[in-house]
Amino acid sequence: MPTGGWSRRQPKSGEVVRRHRPDYKIALYTAILMLLGLVVMYALGPQRAHVMNAAMGSNYSDSYFFIKQVAHIVLAAGAFVFVAFVPVKIYYKLATPLLIAALAACTVLLFAGWLDLPFAPEINGARSWFSLGALGSFQPSELLKLALVVYLGVFLGIRVKQGLINDFDKTILPLAVILGLVVFFVVLAQRDLGTGMATLMMVAAMLFMAGLSKRWFAIFGAVVLVGGLVMTLAYPHRMSRLTTFLKGDETSVSDDSTYHIENAKIAIGTGGLFGVGIGNSVQATGYLPEVINDSIFAVMGEVFGFVGLVALIAIFVAMLLRILRTAEFLVDYRLKLMAAGVFGWFGSHVILNIAAIIGLMPLTGITLPLVSYGGTSMLFMAAALGLVFQLSRYTIHPSHTKEIAKYENSSSRRRVGRARHSSSRRSS
Amino acid sequence: MNLDLPKNGYSRKLAYVILAIAALFVLRLFYLQIIKHSYYVDQARAIQERRFVLPAQRGEIYALDGESPVKLVMNQTVYTVFADPKTITQKDEIIETLREVAGGNLRQGFADLLDQTDTRYQVLGTKLTTTQRDKIKAKNYYGIGFQAVSQRVYPEGKLASQVLGFVNAEGTGAYGIEGYMNERLKGEDGLLQSVADVRDVPLTIGKNNIRIEPQNGDDLVLSIDRNIQSKVEQAILAGVDRTGAPQISALVMNPNTGRVMAMANYPSYNPAEFYKVRDAAIFNNNTISVPYEPGSTIKAFTMATAIDKNVAHATDTYNNTDYITVGDRTISNASKGRTGLITFQTAMEWSLNTGFVTIAQRLGDGRNINRTARDTMYDYFYNRFRLGQATGVELSNEAYGSIISPQSSMGNEVRYSNMSFGQGMESTMLQVAAGFSSAVNGGTYYQPSVVAGVLKGGEIESTKPEVKQAGLIAGSTSRELVGMLQQARRSSFPGADKPGYIVGGKTGTSQVIRNGAYSEAETIASYVGFGGSDRPEYVIMIQVAGKDRVWQGSRDAMPIFTDISNWMIDYLKLRPKG
Repeated sequence: MPTGGWSRRQPKSGEVVRRHRPDYKIALYTAILMLLGLVVMYALGPQRAHVMNAAMGSNYSDSYFFIKQVAHIVLAAGAFVFVAFVPVKIYYKLATPLLIAALAACTVLLFAGWLDLPFAPEINGARSWFSLGALGSFQPSELLKLALVVYLGVFLGIRVKQGLINDFDKTILPLAVILGLVVFFVVLAQRDLGTGMATLMMVAAMLFMAGLSKRWFAIFGAVVLVGGLVMTLAYPHRMSRLTTFLKGDETSVSDDSTYHIENAKIAIGTGGLFGVGIGNSVQATGYLPEVINDSIFAVMGEVFGFVGLVALIAIFVAMLLRILRTAEFLVDYRLKLMAAGVFGWFGSHVILNIAAIIGLMPLTGITLPLVSYGGTSMLFMAAALGLVFQLSRYTIHPSHTKEIAKYENSSSRRRVGRARHSSSRRSS
Repeated sequence: MNLDLPKNGYSRKLAYVILAIAALFVLRLFYLQIIKHSYYVDQARAIQERRFVLPAQRGEIYALDGESPVKLVMNQTVYTVFADPKTITQKDEIIETLREVAGGNLRQGFADLLDQTDTRYQVLGTKLTTTQRDKIKAKNYYGIGFQAVSQRVYPEGKLASQVLGFVNAEGTGAYGIEGYMNERLKGEDGLLQSVADVRDVPLTIGKNNIRIEPQNGDDLVLSIDRNIQSKVEQAILAGVDRTGAPQISALVMNPNTGRVMAMANYPSYNPAEFYKVRDAAIFNNNTISVPYEPGSTIKAFTMATAIDKNVAHATDTYNNTDYITVGDRTISNASKGRTGLITFQTAMEWSLNTGFVTIAQRLGDGRNINRTARDTMYDYFYNRFRLGQATGVELSNEAYGSIISPQSSMGNEVRYSNMSFGQGMESTMLQVAAGFSSAVNGGTYYQPSVVAGVLKGGEIESTKPEVKQAGLIAGSTSRELVGMLQQARRSSFPGADKPGYIVGGKTGTSQVIRNGAYSEAETIASYVGFGGSDRPEYVIMIQVAGKDRVWQGSRDAMPIFTDISNWMIDYLKLRPKG
């Protein structure tokens, strides 16, 4: 592991930040969001089961989705706890193998898909899942996000320390190769533009925290924009989603292409101020597609109303600010960028999902983190949050950063398990 | 907000981005949920709300069995079995089970329909019974469904089919009582306006749900007596066997109430399989729908008119030459030889046309059927006995018939001379029977009816017989006519009837017009008569017809009357007199 010079706002090199109490709010928000999702599964699971049974000939029981989601939550909670207690240093070693494993999984999926093997089924035109029979299914792109958070955290962290973050050969080129692979697998092979966008937003958050220059950001943004346009124009279903979006609120349920978004808006709109209440959702009885997955925000709008959705957004924002705060006050840039990655991961899902469902963006098919029904996304999201939870033990006291030391009051100060002496800092 | 983040740091910028996006979301939600709330509520109603018809149950139809009601038409729920070929999973097993349980109900080639996996709805079979459905349902096949359909069932088979009519594929009654009483039988469908799920299953969610309960149709009790009806239908079939006639109709009514107790025609059809009928004429109830020239049965009405006007009585005489000239026409008797001075009773017994043309003349100045005579005849025939007018019986497709008024240039002397023995006018069998009833019951015309009442809670809520006109002839006229008809029957058909009862009647052999002239080769035979112990208790009318054959009232129609009449005496448990 190369060691370079630390950059700005860092305690003296070599100083070890002592482990202190973690940011329990991260765990609290995680639990609240999971339970909210579970409440929705409880209320809408039976209707979802009926719709699925009627349309697909399946035989789900009323409690199927609720019980499965409980299982998902138990697994996800286990992942959270596990990651929260695995010594953080292991990630330095795991970074490369994890990325290789994720890319390998994507490669296997790609070839299995070509060969049309049964464990790589095509679902809704995309091949982004491994079907593991009784064990359920697994989406390698989620593993890839976790791997990218860890790998790029370490890689970029070192480059920051070396001051080479804007260096083309050392940073930009390898990064471009990795992102190229990600786009190839996720967007081209698995045909999952939403996850591709989320992944790129996640990496962008890490690069932003790492201090990538505006020039590279502009180039990065331009490439993504052009690539995105090409991807959209090349595939008719994306094009129709885009034209649907451009219609704004002039949508109707009689048009197949606007059916989903119009029903989402009807669900949200009928919710009014306080919602129709649990058990009174009509849109969940088959009108709104993907009601407990991608559309869960809409149906929560119907059930809990404006007040409920604003509260939900507030919890998401609070969670994001806690993650951001953890990232800000981490000393080791590798860890700081990992936290920033989780921030970007969580944030991109929240933004892409909600914006699409309320008609501010084309639909991309992405889950609302921790709330939507689904195992893989929740498992990896919880693992990522578990990582941030652990990292929150290693933050320094805000007073150690000179910019806010002067006027910040101490009421909201987190106690840190180290002496509050000021140490000399280098600034870049 | 206290972000607790360093100023100008990257994290603070990211926080601002997040807060800005969150604010945008909240604004958008405010727009969707608060400002546009009612718009989306309307949108939601438009797609979620359905109007379901709550079908009213069609009223059932009962006949009488003596005093108690018996079902003639009832409703039965049968099932249409359908498949969603896209979702079925056990195709071979389904085919086997269906063949085993409901082989006869399946559509031809139903197994191939299951292969049309690009469709979502294929009817495999119809009219499955509840038992059959339960057997298939117990197997719990995915993608197999049932649809309940209410159909009319006829526990008595073909009995009274032309009185009943049927319910067509659209659920509308056609012909008979089903057609005439369609609105009352149908009832009023209810309405359920409700929020429904995407598969149209109504939900209990929602504040605007409306439920209007259906009003089931009335259960009608016909005045048709099942036993009499059955006897009449047997007697008709026996008549068909005996005469070889292609068409026989009969009706039995109570002259003291106007209630029709039986009404039947040959040929008829099975109402459960009405769709198999090729010739729609069979749906018609001949006794009310097909007017004909009634012929000599009308002589009873002419006689009643004469007695009531006191121009001729049974024992009065006239000179019979077997021929009589009216205007430029000469009218002859069908049966000749009883020439000389004879009574009108004899004219009635031998059905001599000359006697009744003489009566028509006597209604005028004695020599001509003048305007006074014609006005009198018209008044009695049309206004009083209501010949040539629809009776208003509760059956669809009733014909009017016609009697030409003397005001018309067609209503001249020749026509009225013909009318005196029932030619030159048209009426239905029910018109003749109802008019005849009023002539023999003392002079009261009861509204002819096939409905005895409505069944409510197992009890018959009877409707009262409706008197259309009382005293249309004098009681004495009626009694004298009854005596004459009794005597006419006794002398012509001695020993036909059970002794000790008053049974009387009049034959009719009417010519039919073919190619604009009365045909010599085709006649319609009829007989109208009554029976009872103290007074007429039943009136029976028979008609035998068929193309290009001569059918005689006495030979072809009368025996059917006798058959039914003797049975009626037993069935009604009439006590013999003296």
